[in-house]
Amino acid sequence: MAAARKLLLLGQCVPCIKHNASKIRIRRMELDENLLMYFKKDEFIFAHDPEKKCKTGDIVLIKELPKKFTRLITHSVEEIVYPLGDITDPITGKKVVVGKYRDDVEHVNKLFGKSEKAFDYDKAPPRGRLEGTKDFTHGETYIKWHEDGKDQPFAV
Amino acid sequence: MNNIFTLRFLPQGPRQFVREYAFKSELKIKWVRPEKISCILPEKSGDLSPMPKIDGKTPLPGFVNSKQLETASEETKSLFSLENNSRVWTTRTYQQSLIREVQRHSLDFGSMEAKLAKMTATIRAMQEEMKIHPRNLRRKVILKELIDKRKKFLKYLRRWDYKRFEWILEKLDLVYKSPPAEFHWVTRKESLKKLAILHCENLKQQRLDAYRRILESQQVEFLEKKLKNLEFIRKEQQECQVAVTVSEEEIKAVRKQLQELKASREKQEEVADR
Repeated sequence: MAAARKLLLLGQCVPCIKHNASKIRIRRMELDENLLMYFKKDEFIFAHDPEKKCKTGDIVLIKELPKKFTRLITHSVEEIVYPLGDITDPITGKKVVVGKYRDDVEHVNKLFGKSEKAFDYDKAPPRGRLEGTKDFTHGETYIKWHEDGKDQPFAV
Repeated sequence: MNNIFTLRFLPQGPRQFVREYAFKSELKIKWVRPEKISCILPEKSGDLSPMPKIDGKTPLPGFVNSKQLETASEETKSLFSLENNSRVWTTRTYQQSLIREVQRHSLDFGSMEAKLAKMTATIRAMQEEMKIHPRNLRRKVILKELIDKRKKFLKYLRRWDYKRFEWILEKLDLVYKSPPAEFHWVTRKESLKKLAILHCENLKQQRLDAYRRILESQQVEFLEKKLKNLEFIRKEQQECQVAVTVSEEEIKAVRKQLQELKASREKQEEVADR
């Protein structure tokens, strides 16, 4: 048993309404023996995370707790490997956007004469300031099925 | 079980019972079907601010800095103004002003920010136009496709560069909601089912709260009785010279708990009086 406890799992954080935990999706490939093809198989695990340090979409490492915290919460968040939309290249240690380094993009902007109004990565505040006002990706959305007179921010 | 509908038994015949029509529920649940919002309206597309009013006397985009136009007669100026030309030019002026707000440098029109700004301007202009000509179906289709495309681009930008995504939402005054995981039609049956579950949960919570209130009201009385009993037992045991099972600390802890409880109750009452 004890040997399995040291196992680390890599998964993606998905929206979760629990206050002290994050929901992590572990995606594995499963062989269908009839078709001899691999298919995606998701497993959802709740990891203890009282400060809610991992946000929706982050790739995180989780570790099994020596003792179950609750019936559902069995793991704890070890490390955030890749925050969503803020990737660092592991080889060079530089920041990356899609297929380009941020430095290169900045360099091109400088050569053209960077606009003052343009986006500046260094001055940008950390993620999460628009949660609940303009950015509703931290929760699950649903199709609006009832009109109860209250504001339903996550209804589509 | 709640009597949802009454059953009428027939003495003879093939059917044992029939349902009394029309269906009337005795449950205190009322379902209101949400009104359908057209996909091209700003409520659905996520545009928080509409297209601003652009001064009709502004010259056409190519002639803004023209020195010849400055010295030209009023008639010529009005010929080159936005109000006397096609609506396309007003839209284009708005597009350019919005792109200028977000572009990386003066020649940037192809970055994601610039593309999104251009799309947003077009969408807002089209939404204005749809108010005047609601039956222009070809335009409606184009508008819907453009809104969907912008949503897709926002999805990509969020994945690529979250800080820039937030910045552009703020700059263009947009709302982004991720699409729901599964599609389903809104039906009466399903909705009533969900509402019934919610109603039951609500009821359960209400009863639990009521029970909690009853227990809390008895708390002080119980602790006082407990303290008295403990003190009595300890005294009796000491007097009868039997092994003392109730320690002084135990009594102290109960007394402290009682004092704290009383203090917190008084505080709550004070807050309630205000």
